[in-house]
Amino acid sequence: MQAIDLSIIYVTSFAILLVGYFIAISCKDLIRLLISLELMFGAVFMSLLPLFSAISNAAFGIAIITIFTSSGELLVLIYAIVTLDRQKKSIYTSSVTIGGDK
Amino acid sequence: MSIEMLLLSALACTAVLSSLAVLLTRDNFYASMFMSLTLVMVAVIYALFDIQPVFVLIVFIFVGALGMVTVALAATYRFAPGRKISWLWALPVVITAFVLAVYVYAAQLAPLEKIQFALQGFITPEYLLLIIFLASLMVLLLLSVLKMGIKEGEGGRS
Repeated sequence: MQAIDLSIIYVTSFAILLVGYFIAISCKDLIRLLISLELMFGAVFMSLLPLFSAISNAAFGIAIITIFTSSGELLVLIYAIVTLDRQKKSIYTSSVTIGGDK
Repeated sequence: MSIEMLLLSALACTAVLSSLAVLLTRDNFYASMFMSLTLVMVAVIYALFDIQPVFVLIVFIFVGALGMVTVALAATYRFAPGRKISWLWALPVVITAFVLAVYVYAAQLAPLEKIQFALQGFITPEYLLLIIFLASLMVLLLLSVLKMGIKEGEGGRS
């Protein structure tokens, strides 16, 4: 893997991560927040790629744990979105209140 | 410039452009579709470096399962909310990206060795047990969501 390959991979990963951050801080509904989180995890997967050059088997283990852990987190967020919609009849981030406020 | 470099650049550009499309589109459904395209491009870059297992994991689990649930949710809640942030935020983002690009270019990173990935060395009982545990966790979480959907459906009919 050449240095220019590394540059392309890291810059792409960083660009996707920044876009994900930007969507997360500008979104007004939880669906868009879910999409931005998936984008950020995609950036993380991409930044793992050079690790396969140095320690391939350990990198595969790290990739598996990252993929399954992030999938679990996103499933929990999907559950939270559906629960919020059932309780508040809304998926706007503004409807999420602090600590059980009525 | 070799054909691999061109292919990698094209895939990286497609991934970044589709992630920008997620940012720019106002429809949640199209945003989720572009998000799936971005993740598929990331997976294809893995395939380009001949790391097929991670390609399969990302495409099957992240895009196939989670991506489709996200697309279904986005199609259900398909509306176009307005943004609540100033576009001035784009300025520090662009500056940071530029600084990072210059740093990565100027750092002259030492070239790494060619990726030598051998799946045969990975298939050990410990790793298989880990995969079984993680797959069980995913099935459990999916069953919870499914159960909630069934309850909702029964509540809707009664």
